[in-house]
Amino acid sequence: MSDPKGIGQGGKTLKQMLEENEQLYRETGCYAGMTDPHVLKEDPVRAELFHSRLMAALIAGRETCRMVSGSPFVREVAELCLGLYTPEGDNIAQSTGIQIHIKLMGDNIQWMIRKDYEEEVGIRDGDFFIANDPVISGMHAADVYDILPIFCDQELVGWVSTVIMEMDIGAVSPGCMPTANVERGTDGLKFLCERIGTNDRLHRDFEHKIENSLDMYHIFLLDRKGAMAANIRVREEIKKIVKEFGLDFYKQATRELIEEERRNQVARIKQRMVPGRYRNVVTAEFPMSKQPVAWIPAKVDTIRLIPVQMDILPEGRILLDFEGAGEWGWHAYNATPNALWGGISIVTVQTLSYDGRGNLGSLLPIDVKEPLLDSLLNPKEIKKLATSTPWAPMLDLFGMWMHMLGNTYFLRGFREETFNYRSSAGWQMAGYDQLGNKRPLLAAGTGNFGPGACGVCDGVDCGGWLATPEVDLGSAEVWELFVPHMEMSRRFDPYSVGYGRFRSGLAIPTVAMVHNTKKCVASAAVGTASDGIIPNIGQFGGYCGGRRNTIHVRFDNFQEKLQKRGPLLYELGHPGDLEDRVREMGGEIVDHGLLPEPMEVVEGDLLIAGSGAGGGLGDPIERDPASVKEDLDNGLSTEWQARNIYCVEATYDGQAKEWRIDPDATSKLRQDRRKERLNRGVPVKEWWKKAREKFVARNMDEKIREMYQSSARLSPVFAEELKGFWALPEDFVL
Amino acid sequence: MEYGKEDLRDLFDGRLPWEKMKSIMSRPKDDDRFEKYIEILQERVPWPEKILMPLGEHLSVVRKGEDRIVKCDCGHEFGDWRKNWKLSALIFVRDTTETMEEVYPGFKSPDPRLCEIREFYCPECAALLKVDSAPVGYPVLFDILTDIDSFYREWLARPLPDEKEFRDLTHEVIREWAKE
Repeated sequence: MSDPKGIGQGGKTLKQMLEENEQLYRETGCYAGMTDPHVLKEDPVRAELFHSRLMAALIAGRETCRMVSGSPFVREVAELCLGLYTPEGDNIAQSTGIQIHIKLMGDNIQWMIRKDYEEEVGIRDGDFFIANDPVISGMHAADVYDILPIFCDQELVGWVSTVIMEMDIGAVSPGCMPTANVERGTDGLKFLCERIGTNDRLHRDFEHKIENSLDMYHIFLLDRKGAMAANIRVREEIKKIVKEFGLDFYKQATRELIEEERRNQVARIKQRMVPGRYRNVVTAEFPMSKQPVAWIPAKVDTIRLIPVQMDILPEGRILLDFEGAGEWGWHAYNATPNALWGGISIVTVQTLSYDGRGNLGSLLPIDVKEPLLDSLLNPKEIKKLATSTPWAPMLDLFGMWMHMLGNTYFLRGFREETFNYRSSAGWQMAGYDQLGNKRPLLAAGTGNFGPGACGVCDGVDCGGWLATPEVDLGSAEVWELFVPHMEMSRRFDPYSVGYGRFRSGLAIPTVAMVHNTKKCVASAAVGTASDGIIPNIGQFGGYCGGRRNTIHVRFDNFQEKLQKRGPLLYELGHPGDLEDRVREMGGEIVDHGLLPEPMEVVEGDLLIAGSGAGGGLGDPIERDPASVKEDLDNGLSTEWQARNIYCVEATYDGQAKEWRIDPDATSKLRQDRRKERLNRGVPVKEWWKKAREKFVARNMDEKIREMYQSSARLSPVFAEELKGFWALPEDFVL
Repeated sequence: MEYGKEDLRDLFDGRLPWEKMKSIMSRPKDDDRFEKYIEILQERVPWPEKILMPLGEHLSVVRKGEDRIVKCDCGHEFGDWRKNWKLSALIFVRDTTETMEEVYPGFKSPDPRLCEIREFYCPECAALLKVDSAPVGYPVLFDILTDIDSFYREWLARPLPDEKEFRDLTHEVIREWAKE
């Protein structure tokens, strides 16, 4: 009996092709062993035309999906992306959109290959596979991958994959990215690269399953149909390209695109960075003690460290090391080594490979030291855990990495590339919509964050969303159709800012009133869990933006207040007197926590999500007073900030309707601030001695102490560094 | 691709018109940027030591005799670049609600039981050089330790004289402090 014929090149199986490819890379350091890529170089015009055709196919596919889908995630904020892959699952090109998934979609394909799908499950022309299990690959279970093989004659020549973030995957309330869930079963539907369609048609039994499993089945199924339409469109376009350019050219050129990008990436690293060691630390807070979870051991508040070390090596490679990351816990925020690549992908394509040619080659010069087993980034028991929101700590981790890359660009003189990023606060709801249907009610105006300052100008107001440079807030009116709430305003929040010579961009807080629902529950959303300790992303004298806030306000006698046309809260204002202002309006702040647990909300309640922006850059008292005036005139800063932070004396000219700067008073304020710093500041040695005494006496919050214990338990290297800095005796146990 | 020093000066100072700034952001990068950057920074400091590597808005690694030290624009010297310069700065730590709220009023304030805002000042000119947000008890971060010799030797192809070993020497400072 002869060996079964594979569906890959020359009758090879996909597994053989994958293993050969990996071996060639190990042996040569070049993708697919391409030490002499030549096809693209020989005819650059043809090569450019070829790449443009691939990109056009992917972008057209993405737009096709947006036309078919009914979800505001797809239509309004465009949380989707398409990628084209080699038979081995390596990314060749990707559309615009959430470009986190370069490697993650490929990892799902490679999982199928390694699990012998070719022989045991079967991979045929017209088959649709679906995946959303972060244990295999992904950032959170709400991201659903639709994967279609591309055959030419009988040979599989590639794959196309679409990723869409879903509003409902049947998870425990609120149903998309729940935070009060800790066990796998509460994540909702999980698809492990399952075949859901054949011959370009969705299986009817799959539709039945979805119709009976999800509240928003129609949205989910329309998204699948959108993804199918997109994938088919790309597949057919690729077939045309193959016909036009020839199959041999297609195979060679697609691989050369990856190798070319790898070489370009090394060149960019050497052109824009400075070799050395860069360090920072992320803290992730998990306030779970009050969360209504059934697995009682999960009800504990913890904080975990994720130290980040980036070594930029003389050979033009980057090594990331998270030594000292604390232990995993019973919550939905544990990540996987795979998920780290999502963060690396998105930062890479936004800061280095932003010429539209980003693919697997962008990632090949980057290595990640495998996080220690049982750390937050690599739990042994990941299959037991909820994986609805690994995305949350990943956002802060890779916003931080962007900050670290910004440091190296700054040193090299490319100050215009210096940038940093931080995630938002948010609410999510579940309950009855305006039409009486019970369902998840997640509104995700994700484009409202304030990114960090640039090295040559202020950050772009409302201009930051790590996942994609394209996403926007979407129309308030469309979100109001999907969610029983009314947006009270969309105004920049001056107090969201990260101060500096160049300030961060400002954020737009969500201030939404619950409206027209008979029963509704709200809880925190992604990104809200880490602000007892704010991120360390102020640059070169700039401050990080303040805490992110999720605030729940309730008014007494709301209906009566409405009838009397009494005042309502529509903006955050000064953070110091919000409580007083709410009280004057006849309301109270019901919850003001870091990670609000699910709570019932009623008509008239306000759900406020106030983001904290990224970091400012440079000493705030060196900010150009003209920039302070401009911000004051535009309502983007306040007199309090001008005087107390920027040391600028400003008064409002009511007649001219603009602010006036007093240069002499400003100069004096700035001189006084310098004197104050010299008076207040102490030599670090003096501070160290006192801080050491406190550390030795274990005089610290119990959660902080446990945080250090957790990292030290896993990592002797971390324990040694901690002891070294505080000059602790060898036998010291925290 | 290259830009004139006038444009680069304006770029660094935030004075370049947006259209030009955007063009510099979007176009391929200029290979001689580092050399011009160093020249511009050198023009702006009142002291003669040669800048080898910028370290931020006011700090640079400079050559002084056979040593490489961190130096502030004002002339203050922080010592060997392989020892965390922050340990030679002045520090003010915001670790109470009152001092936190000077910067982060009301609900914007981090939790002083968990978080410290550490401000590092130049002891001479009082410039705010770095603001760290750190969990209470976390070691002072040594954010940036550049491998200057590899950079000059392998990336710029003009090795520096008197190459130094690339390693973190901060522990030597701590060891001295611990003896006192």
